[in-house]
Amino acid sequence: MSAHGVDLGHPVVVTAARPGSAMARINRAMALLNKTIVVVCSIALIAASVILSYSVAARYFFNAATYWQDEAAVFLLVAATFLSTAFVQAGRGHIGIEALTGYLSKRGNAIRVLIVDATSLLFCCFFSWKSWTLFHEAWVDGQVSGSTWAPPLWIPYSMMALGMTLLTLQIALQLAAAMDGWRSK
Amino acid sequence: MSTLAVGLMYGGATLAVMASGMPIALPLGPVAVIFMYFFMPSASLDTVTQNVYEEMASITLLAIPLFILKGAAIGKSKAGQDLYSALHVWMGRIPGGLGIANVFACALFAAMAGSSPATCSAIGSAGIPEMRKRGYSGGFAAGVIAAGGTLGILLPPSITMILYAVAAEQSLGRLFLAGIGPGLLLVVLFATYAVLRFKAEYKAAQRAYAADPAQHPILSNERFTMAMRFGALPRVLPFVVLLSGVMVALYGGYATPSETAGLGGILALVLIASIYGVWRPRDLGPILESTLKESTMLMLIIGMSLLYSYVMSYLHISQGAAQAIVAMQLSRWVLLAAILVLVVVLGFFLPPVSIILMTAPIILPPLKDAGFDLIWFGVVMTIVMEMGLIHPPVGLNIFVIRNIAPDIPLRDVIWGTLPFVLLMALAVVLLCLVPSISTSLPNLVMGAPTR
Repeated sequence: MSAHGVDLGHPVVVTAARPGSAMARINRAMALLNKTIVVVCSIALIAASVILSYSVAARYFFNAATYWQDEAAVFLLVAATFLSTAFVQAGRGHIGIEALTGYLSKRGNAIRVLIVDATSLLFCCFFSWKSWTLFHEAWVDGQVSGSTWAPPLWIPYSMMALGMTLLTLQIALQLAAAMDGWRSK
Repeated sequence: MSTLAVGLMYGGATLAVMASGMPIALPLGPVAVIFMYFFMPSASLDTVTQNVYEEMASITLLAIPLFILKGAAIGKSKAGQDLYSALHVWMGRIPGGLGIANVFACALFAAMAGSSPATCSAIGSAGIPEMRKRGYSGGFAAGVIAAGGTLGILLPPSITMILYAVAAEQSLGRLFLAGIGPGLLLVVLFATYAVLRFKAEYKAAQRAYAADPAQHPILSNERFTMAMRFGALPRVLPFVVLLSGVMVALYGGYATPSETAGLGGILALVLIASIYGVWRPRDLGPILESTLKESTMLMLIIGMSLLYSYVMSYLHISQGAAQAIVAMQLSRWVLLAAILVLVVVLGFFLPPVSIILMTAPIILPPLKDAGFDLIWFGVVMTIVMEMGLIHPPVGLNIFVIRNIAPDIPLRDVIWGTLPFVLLMALAVVLLCLVPSISTSLPNLVMGAPTR
């Protein structure tokens, strides 16, 4: 478990697919995509810090009003959080309670992981679908946030929808790899 | 269907799904959505995502990734080691000084990094081998580090406290300040214990020496020159300045807590770039990557916990439970004890962030009703959750220590941490008897609470 900001260095479980198969190619593409996303998210993280630091400086040195900084940082951080969920899932980084693991046989555990992944997949499908409808409404109605700066809300909504879709895709890939592994056994 | 029945089903379903080993964020989501489907108007399902977004899109909550960034930047650099060796050369002369140096290093590092396990691994990887080389027993060394690490979620900026402030709708600045007094109290308790334990181990070694004059490292003396002492400072002072600078910005009214997080993140990156030469994308990559991993996981748990407690409150489960607790007419201290036991038990299954978000709507109204100060309670609850970090069955810090010092038997580690668990319990009792340990500093700095 690592819920307190430390990387305990658990080995990343790489789902191996037969080399050359379509599965392997999709996995490679997903890994590449995740790598790109990590870079984008890192930049968003640093940008959010810079914006917040700027707002302190602007207020102190220039007496400037700070009306957009908090919201801009929120958008960046929402983007960084949601876009990187798939990357975290790829390393099985979301912590779970392994209460049953010890009591189940190897086969039983494989079935447990399968059920867990299938449920997660259904939920993420639902969540992605609802995020896209939210985005669509915000886009069509031109919804803006309630602040004086009033930026369009489709920006963070699209980040949430995109991130959850990628997470769904990642879980689907892991599920497919697990099924693939079963068949080849 | 009665609220009680729905509530029991809600809790039962959650436990069942969680036991399956689903990632913690995910069981909360599906359970909440399924109950929405069955017990709430169908329109509420359409706004699930909007709910999650609106709860999460608060700059206070979203400051968490930035605090983690600051912690990762400092934690993954050699700052911990340097801080540790500086304190070591300064305190080497005091009997048990090495133990004290470790406690102090943990406290300082925890205040900079804001994370308990990160503190354990940064200070412990230098401190445990050093203490053992100097003859401290493995269990004692492990105990000092495990306990020192827990200061991370008590001293500001603490992620646990951010969540508590949001859930309890209390001032974050005030809560941060309220943690400092008890944090110092724990430092003193830990350091005193370290000295006493050192003396006991020293005496035991002297007796062993009388029986068998072999080499006993604990008996040897170490001397440091003044040059060594002052030579250690330049690498450490910038971080202390960073720490105090950020605090001044926060309490001098120059920055909001979230702006402090951004400022801290940038300054930490600048410091490790200028002192340790960590600035190339190749060096920064691992820091940013682990920040993203930790913060995304945490934010997802937070988002889903918020959705979960939204459903709980919509279905009147939390209000019902809170009213039931109030109706029991428990005396103040019985109520407090019962709630703290609940927190400890939940700590066996859940990370502190989920405990806070899921229980706050249930436990805070009765506590407020009984006349407890919620800022004070936030500090007490934090200490109790810290205890969970160093005792089985979860004991996250114990796992960290097992990682950095695998040759100390688990039994010794657990026995070594036990006295510190008791010291923390003592601190909780002291806080109950003298609440002003925690509340006087915020009252002094920010004025008496307006309630």
